[in-house]
Amino acid sequence: MSSNEKTMPVLEVCGLTKNYHDSPHSRNIITELDLKVPDGEFLCILGPSGCGKTTLIRCIAGFEDYDGIIKVEDKEVKEPNIDRIMVFQDFNQLFPWKTVEKNIQYPLKKNGINDKKELERITREHLELVGLSEYGSFYPHQLSGGMKQRVAIAKGLALKPKIILMDEPFASLDAMTRNRLQVELLNIKRKENATVVFITHNIQEAIVLGNRIILMSKNGEIKLDVKNSIEKPVTPASEGYGRMWKLFNEALQDELADF
Amino acid sequence: MRALRRQIIFLVCFAAVWQIIYMMKAFPEILFPSIGSIWDGLVQGFTQDGLLTMTMYSLSLIGKGLVIGIILAFAFSSLAVVNSVFYDIYSLIVSIFDLIPGVALLPLAILWFGIGEMTIIFIMIHSIIWPMSRSIIDGFNSVSRLYIESGQNIGLRGFSLVKGVYFPAAFTHVLSGMRIGWARAWRALISVEMIFGTTGSGAGIGWYIYMRRAHVDISGVLGALIVIILIGVIVEYGIFHNIEKHTIRKWGMTR
Repeated sequence: MSSNEKTMPVLEVCGLTKNYHDSPHSRNIITELDLKVPDGEFLCILGPSGCGKTTLIRCIAGFEDYDGIIKVEDKEVKEPNIDRIMVFQDFNQLFPWKTVEKNIQYPLKKNGINDKKELERITREHLELVGLSEYGSFYPHQLSGGMKQRVAIAKGLALKPKIILMDEPFASLDAMTRNRLQVELLNIKRKENATVVFITHNIQEAIVLGNRIILMSKNGEIKLDVKNSIEKPVTPASEGYGRMWKLFNEALQDELADF
Repeated sequence: MRALRRQIIFLVCFAAVWQIIYMMKAFPEILFPSIGSIWDGLVQGFTQDGLLTMTMYSLSLIGKGLVIGIILAFAFSSLAVVNSVFYDIYSLIVSIFDLIPGVALLPLAILWFGIGEMTIIFIMIHSIIWPMSRSIIDGFNSVSRLYIESGQNIGLRGFSLVKGVYFPAAFTHVLSGMRIGWARAWRALISVEMIFGTTGSGAGIGWYIYMRRAHVDISGVLGALIVIILIGVIVEYGIFHNIEKHTIRKWGMTR
C-alpha cells in the first residue's frame, strides 16, 4: 500500500505562485512552489510570520485564486469544498447560533445526510472522539477556547474530508491546553488515518505532530523538507528530538536574521 | 424585574406631576385635562366612538405593510449580497429613497392608486423597505469572514450562504432593522390616516385622533395617544424582546 501512496498523492501542488496584486509593488507571496502530500501523511509547515504559509493553506482550501496547479486526488482545486476542511486559528469559527451538535450536523445535512439516527450516531462518535460527549447541547459561547477548537476538529472530521487543513489551530491556546490537544490530535489522526496539513510557527509542535516537516523561507519557498521518523509520542527526551529541533531552529534563525 | 420596577415608578411620578400641573390650573382645562378625564376619554373611545375597531383596522393595515415591506427588504438585501451589480444599484436606490419622507410621496400615490388602502400600504412599504434594507445590508457587510469561509467550506453558495450564514450571523442588525421598520410604518400610517381620513373601507386610529381634535376633545386625543403607546410597548416587550431572548441573547451574540 505504501508504494501506491507514493505514486498517487492526495494533494499535489505544482508551480504555485500567489500574488495578491493589492498594490503596485505587491510581490509574490509564494513563487513556483511544488509539493506532494501522500495519503495519511501528517505534514507540518513551519515558517517565520509572513512567509506565506497561511496563504499556501488558503490556496489549497480554495479561498484564494492562484497561478499554477493544485490538485486533490487528481481534481483541480477551484473553490472551497468539503473534501478539504479548514480548521482556523480563531476560536469563533463555530456558528454561534447553533449548538455544538447542530454545528456538527448542519454541514452533514447540507451534504445529503438526512437520516436522523445516522446524524446522531456521527455526532455522538465524533464528540466522543474529542472528549466532549456531554457538551452537545451547549452553545459555542458557553465553551472555552480549547473546547471550541475540539468541536471544530470534530466537525471537520465528521465530514470525512480527504485532507484536514489546520491553520495554527492551537496557537491562541495556553501551553497546557495546547499540549493536551496535540496528544488528542495525534490519537485522532491514528484512529481516522486522515491526511493533515498543519501550519505552525512552533518547532516543538511540528516535531511532536508531524511525520514530515517543511520549513518555508520568507520568500515563500520550501527551504527544508524533512521526514520526521522520531517515534510517537515525541517528548524532548526522545532520541533525535534535539537534533531535529536544532536543525529547524537554526534554519528559522537564518530566515529572521536576513530581515 | 428591577428595570420594570424603576419604569413603573417613573410612570407613576409622571402621572402625578401631570395631575399637579392640572390642579395648579396653569393651562386651560380644555387643553390640559386631568388624568381622570383622559381615562374617561379613553373609556368613551372604546365604548362609544369605535376606537377599538379603528385601532384594529390600523393594525391590520400595518400588518399587511410590514409583511410585504419586510419580505421585500430581505429579498432585495439578499440579492445584493449574491450579486455585486445589484448591490451597487440597490445601494444607490436605498440612499436616494431613504431621503424621501413617506408623506412627500402621498400626492403621487393618491394619483396612482386613489384614496384607499393601496395608497396607505404603498407609503408604508416605502417607509419600511429602505431603512430596513440599510440595516440588513450593513449587517451582512459586517459578518465575519470566518463564518463566510466556514460556510463556503461546507458547500454553501449564493442564497444558501445568505440563509445559512449571513442571515443568522447578522441577526442583531436584522432585528434592529425590523424595529426601525415597525416604527417607521406606524408613523407613516398615522400621518396618512390623518391626512385622508376614512378610506372607504374603514377609518384608523390616525383619523380618530384627527376627529377628536376637531371636536376639541383633548382627552380623546390623549387617550388615543396612550393606545398608540401601549401598542408600541406590547410590540417591543411582547415580540421583540422575546425574539431577542430566543436568538441573539441565547447565542451569546449580545450582552
